[in-house]
Amino acid sequence: MTREQFRKAEGFAALALSTLAALGGLFWLVFILGDVLVHGLKALSPTLFLNDPAPPGVEGGGLRNAFVGQLLITTGATLIGVPVGVLGGTFLAEYARGKSISHIISVLADIMVSVPSIVIGTFIYAVLVKPVGHFNGWAGAVALAVIMIPVVLRTTEDMLSLVPWTLREAAFALGAPYYKVITQVVYRGAATGILTGILLSIARVAGETAPLLFTSFNNSFFSLDMKQPVSSLTVTIFQYAMGPYDNWHAQAWAAAFVITIFILVLTISGRLLIRWRYK
Amino acid sequence: MARTAKRNPVDTFFSIITGAASFSVVVLIIGILIVLISESSLSIGKFGIWRFLVSTDWDPVRESFGALTNIYGTVVTTMLSLVIAIPIAIGIAIFITEISPNFLKGPIGAAIELLAAIPSIIYGMWGLFTLSPIMSRYIEPFLQKVFGGLPLMGILFQGTPMGIDILTASVILSIMIIPFTASISRDAFNLTPEVVKESAYALGATKWEVVKNVVLPYSKLGVFGGIVLSLGRALGETMAVAFVLGNDHRITTSLLDAAATITVTLANEFAEADKDIYLSSLFYLALVLFVMSFVTLAIAKFFLLRAEKKYTR
Repeated sequence: MTREQFRKAEGFAALALSTLAALGGLFWLVFILGDVLVHGLKALSPTLFLNDPAPPGVEGGGLRNAFVGQLLITTGATLIGVPVGVLGGTFLAEYARGKSISHIISVLADIMVSVPSIVIGTFIYAVLVKPVGHFNGWAGAVALAVIMIPVVLRTTEDMLSLVPWTLREAAFALGAPYYKVITQVVYRGAATGILTGILLSIARVAGETAPLLFTSFNNSFFSLDMKQPVSSLTVTIFQYAMGPYDNWHAQAWAAAFVITIFILVLTISGRLLIRWRYK
Repeated sequence: MARTAKRNPVDTFFSIITGAASFSVVVLIIGILIVLISESSLSIGKFGIWRFLVSTDWDPVRESFGALTNIYGTVVTTMLSLVIAIPIAIGIAIFITEISPNFLKGPIGAAIELLAAIPSIIYGMWGLFTLSPIMSRYIEPFLQKVFGGLPLMGILFQGTPMGIDILTASVILSIMIIPFTASISRDAFNLTPEVVKESAYALGATKWEVVKNVVLPYSKLGVFGGIVLSLGRALGETMAVAFVLGNDHRITTSLLDAAATITVTLANEFAEADKDIYLSSLFYLALVLFVMSFVTLAIAKFFLLRAEKKYTR
């Protein structure tokens, strides 16, 4: 083989391997999503949303308690996490812009995004479950909010930084104080971006299981009381999938299907929004 | 700008509120550290620091606890998953940036990122019901047949293939971290200036030679940062491994044995810990994990920031 032929062959082999890797990545996506789809659709039925769980081992029953509980916990987390995150991001991008404190907090938030969520669960257990004496829904909501804050904070900071500085100067020139410039000019310019950040952060926490295991725990009964243990879809999936009964497994697949679709819809609409706004 | 902020009282108020909100991140990180240390003080007092880290005991009945089996499980599954994930992720990044036609770049990139959006519990459950039977029936017996007889390699594949083991957990973990590594590598590759690549092409380099000699050296800081970031993520991953690792506290050389990671131990035992020293030791484990992942993530961030500085200069 001549040197040219060898170089060509080597190049071809390397590129073929890369293409295979990309196909492999897509293969897993199709495999996992397809599996969730097939098993989930099979187990999906109206009773799943309307009934509460049957006693262990008894056929039938649904997961109404878990759907409602998940909604409560996620809404609670959003109500706590979004304001703190958006305001915090505002400080970094506006009042502290260019200062080293802004840079330090930004880096810390980036690290915080990837801190193991189960560690946050143990932290919230020590702070909100141990003093109260029992698992409760608020602890779960706060644990998810803690995960949410750095995500929302960082996207808000980035989105506000994209708003041109001249826009602010125009508003300053009209005599507007900084807070009015922020709330009436900068927020408007960055609204789509911030909304996308919020959507993606909800998608991120909606699938979290580890921080809920010992904060909101689980509850086999229908309950709207956030001061008591609250059931969630993810913890229920863990319990049911590890359990011995076939109908538990089927319901776990159905719950997995619902939560996956929910998260994918949020993620895709977030991406479309950002493309539509910043293209 | 600063002068306007001082003049208006509402403005002062707004800046204090936003400032407090952003400091919540600092408060949370310091708070987590302090709370974990104080909750584990009972266990720190009884087992010390070094003795806890090197002890293989994990016995709730005799109330003797050590972290080594958990740390071992965490490190082995993480490393193995990186070994599987890194070549595939870099291959994907090369495909997206250099090979794929333009109209495919967006959709494939998006699909890979969707893989990252799927929650870890779905991976874990899929691993338990779908991947684990495939592993125990086909892949693990095959690996055993091929490598089991070899000296040295053989000890990695001893025991009965059950599908609930280190290998299965690492495979699932690798599928989970591929999207991260791939998208960070892609972003790093994209920062290579077109001019430099075109100069290499003009000298007659093949596409692979451009990737190997121009793009990879140029983006190595960013790619390395991305790999360390994936490492940090994998260390703390809980649900993807909790289903298929078996929570067995021992140190084993075979990849076909069950094991325990810090996260799996916490997930399985935390809510059931009945004694103070048991719970305190679990908090101690969480503290070890927090420090491990924080240091790893800080290193990753350091490299990514340096890469960013280098390119924007």
